[in-house]
Amino acid sequence: MGGDHRAFLEATLPYLDVVHRIARHAAPGGQDAEDLVQETYLRAYAAFDAYRGENTRAWLAAICLNAARSEARRRRRRPRELTGYPPADSARAGCEEGGRADPRRPGELPDVADVVIAALDAEAVAGCLARLPAEQRWCIVLMDVAGYTARETAELLGCPRGTVLARVHRGRRKLAGLLTEAGVGHEP
Amino acid sequence: MSHDQMLIAFLAGDLDPAAARRFDEHLLGCEDCWQAVREDQAGQVAAELLRQPAPPGLADRVRLAVEVAAAAQPQPRQNRRRWPRWRVLAGAGALAAGLAAAVLAVVLPGGRAQEPAAVAAVVRYAQAMPHPGSGRPTVPVEVGHPVTVTAGGQRVTLRTWRLGGAEATVAVSAAPFPMPPGAKGMTGPGMGWSARIGHLSLYCLNGARPEIVAGAVPAAELPRLARLLPQP
Repeated sequence: MGGDHRAFLEATLPYLDVVHRIARHAAPGGQDAEDLVQETYLRAYAAFDAYRGENTRAWLAAICLNAARSEARRRRRRPRELTGYPPADSARAGCEEGGRADPRRPGELPDVADVVIAALDAEAVAGCLARLPAEQRWCIVLMDVAGYTARETAELLGCPRGTVLARVHRGRRKLAGLLTEAGVGHEP
Repeated sequence: MSHDQMLIAFLAGDLDPAAARRFDEHLLGCEDCWQAVREDQAGQVAAELLRQPAPPGLADRVRLAVEVAAAAQPQPRQNRRRWPRWRVLAGAGALAAGLAAAVLAVVLPGGRAQEPAAVAAVVRYAQAMPHPGSGRPTVPVEVGHPVTVTAGGQRVTLRTWRLGGAEATVAVSAAPFPMPPGAKGMTGPGMGWSARIGHLSLYCLNGARPEIVAGAVPAAELPRLARLLPQP
């Protein structure tokens, strides 16, 4: 590590927004998202010499998820400490199981045709997103929030692309349903 | 391909044009599929609301953290992989602006890497501040915005103030600041220390709220300057 930090910053800082979007959802309970971003960049800098990939954006995402996983594990080792939700760990959980089926019957969900997107509140969306099953939430965070492709998301999570697409679809439907139930986005 | 798989492939744009057209026609008559498509779109748009920019100051914080990490290394790497010129040029504008450029203009003397990480972060931040302008405010005026950095496991919040032609960086932390090599310990309440690093003087009080005041002024002036600054 050391030396050419200018090249490192030039190559990685353009993705700061993306890393922060992931960190906001990856940071385990009690960890500040900005601390996770800083840790991500320091880990990336330490590994920059060995990095040979062409997709810096995906590389940073993988480091961020690993850093969150390490922190979640570290916090779990502490006695009597609540760890919130350990998203990075659970992001991979169930990858081999094909995902969790949506338990909601179609008839139970109000018609979301009346959802008014302009009335949506980001905080409410984040709250509903946090209630999704981890494997669906992580596919949505990486694809819809951070802007990764289905293929990149599949590589990051170690799942087939088809699994990612199915989880995103189920997660989006569930998210829309939760928002509707919460009264967010309904037409007055 | 099951009905559900067909729907997901349709939404992902994976169907060939003929199959996509057939499924599109199917949607006109299938209320369940139409509902699923609309919910998918509503959920996607809602999630995309969370595509928000990083907060102001985070880029400065990351630059500072990397600068501190770089300064802690004794030798630059000789066999570094070279990045394509276009990549370097693409980031040159961002690099030229702001804190990083100022930081890079200052090279710490050899051996400074032995300073505790939190103290090194304070020094590099203080060195990065622009030189005082011609104005000589008689009340403290904050320069830039606060930056919080974690160095050596210690969380430090940094602010810089301009007063009477001098500038001082104030660093506060919940943990005591370790004493760097060559620093002089102080007796009395607070158990602080003072040090000279490069052209900066540092004055540390490890009291209830550990604090470092750093500035390019004689060390004897720092306590007086510190008393004139707003309490953190």
